[in-house]
Amino acid sequence: MTFILSSGRTIPQGSFVEHKLSKGYQRATSMIYIHPLDIMELGIESGDRVHVTSDIGSVVLTTEATNDIPSGCVYIALGPYANAITGGYTHGTGMPDYKDISVEIEPTDDPVQTVWDLMEMIGGVRYGK
Amino acid sequence: MESRDVPCPFCGCLCDDVFVTVENNRIIGVENCCTLGNAKFLSKKRLKHPIMRKNGKWVEVTYEEAIDETARILSDAMRPLLYGWSGTIGEAQVVGVHLAEEIGALIDSTTSVCHNPSILAIQEVGHPGCTLGQVKNRADLVVYWGCNPIEAHPRHMSRYTTYADGYFIDNTASDRTVIVVDIRRSEGAKVADEFVQVKPGGDYLVLSALRAMVRGKSDVVPESVAGVKKVQLQRVADLMMKAKFGAVFFGLGITMSRGKYKNVRNAIELVSELNRRTKFTISAMRGHFNVYGFNEVLTWMAGYPFAVDFSRGIAFYNPGETTVIDLLERREPDACLVVASDPGAHFPKSTIEHMAAIPTVQIDPCVNATTALCQVQIPVAITGIEVAGTAYRMDGVPIRMKKVLETEFPTDQEILERIVIRIREIRADG
Repeated sequence: MTFILSSGRTIPQGSFVEHKLSKGYQRATSMIYIHPLDIMELGIESGDRVHVTSDIGSVVLTTEATNDIPSGCVYIALGPYANAITGGYTHGTGMPDYKDISVEIEPTDDPVQTVWDLMEMIGGVRYGK
Repeated sequence: MESRDVPCPFCGCLCDDVFVTVENNRIIGVENCCTLGNAKFLSKKRLKHPIMRKNGKWVEVTYEEAIDETARILSDAMRPLLYGWSGTIGEAQVVGVHLAEEIGALIDSTTSVCHNPSILAIQEVGHPGCTLGQVKNRADLVVYWGCNPIEAHPRHMSRYTTYADGYFIDNTASDRTVIVVDIRRSEGAKVADEFVQVKPGGDYLVLSALRAMVRGKSDVVPESVAGVKKVQLQRVADLMMKAKFGAVFFGLGITMSRGKYKNVRNAIELVSELNRRTKFTISAMRGHFNVYGFNEVLTWMAGYPFAVDFSRGIAFYNPGETTVIDLLERREPDACLVVASDPGAHFPKSTIEHMAAIPTVQIDPCVNATTALCQVQIPVAITGIEVAGTAYRMDGVPIRMKKVLETEFPTDQEILERIVIRIREIRADG
């Protein structure tokens, strides 16, 4: 199914911002907020995982049902998960499209990757565990 | 020991009424602060020593070796990038700008990926703004457009708007009207008197419709604009025109979505239009506690607020070309110094791929996503808790940050000054 994805601040994201490698930060930034009707349409339950794919890439996220977002739209806290599917094109303004991204969403059993996993996929090296 | 009126080094509200209790050089109590500020004041995890990647593995090194390596990387580079700056004080930012000029670097801040479009719009049509004190004491109408203060600036409403007592406001609960415009029913929208739900990407259209209505041209507005009914738009336009003093606050909901700076320009022009009838102001909800400060510092020193390229020996500013994302997307930089920000977590994938491919150094107290992209990380004292200095609130008011804890960690400023000295030594050696 096709959705419009926007990213932005949430309190849990902000609270863990000095602890980006923590489970709390991972949970806060890998959660995708979605309307209950869309959850039903996808044939899954709130808390199940989905593959979210844009023109740029794909990432596994955990769903969280909420009536606060209209059907057809999805929302995610800013962070490395959102950026795994955000492009670097800025339309000549310096500002990439962090909002209004068209994405395909489908159910999956794949696990949510860690922040270190995401950084290593683009050529980084984790520090510590 | 107790410290009163400590400014909070988290967001652009820079709340300067925080009460901190310290025992044995540890913060054991924080009062008046929000969840976000509390988490920062009480945070204990940090990187304890400089680290460097050698043969693909992280090893601990001395400050001297880390600074030496950083200076070598920067002096070897043809196209160095100095990025970040929003989480440190003006005194350190000044050294950063001097360093950029000296080595012909491109210097940019987190502004580039937050309110850069707001600055572009202001450069086109000006800024009918005011300080937050004016809003608190006078505004009887507050509009939050494309921002969610409850989650991003948790005390904005209680210190300056919805829940704040004002000198000319008898009863803040009944005498202030709050309008929230957003694509989703955010926490802020739930406490608003009027919630306008716009379809994603529809802000420009809704702003244009309101401008037409304020101009008395309601007849040209169709029955529905970007998902908003005309009756609601008319109600909002009437509320705006009837206000004695209106204050618009806008966030990344309009700077990052389709239209970018044109959305902000349209919002400013709506405010100008309203000023023909009543008093209205508009202000950006700035994120990091000192993101505004970097714009000030760079403007005094180079004439431009962000994205300045010194590679020609003069300050050159051309957003869209000299902005950090475009530069990385073109894979131009051959070295990068990151100070007081975390692009690893906040930049699009393709851009940090390039940061991981070139020698990147980070100056930051904590291990973060950018750590993985670096060759060297130098831990420093925490600004606003362990270091005093100047930061600028989102409305441009400078506030002196306090030091409440003693530390043995060097400051951002000291590290940057040592890098500058070391680069000069390397260059003198030829």
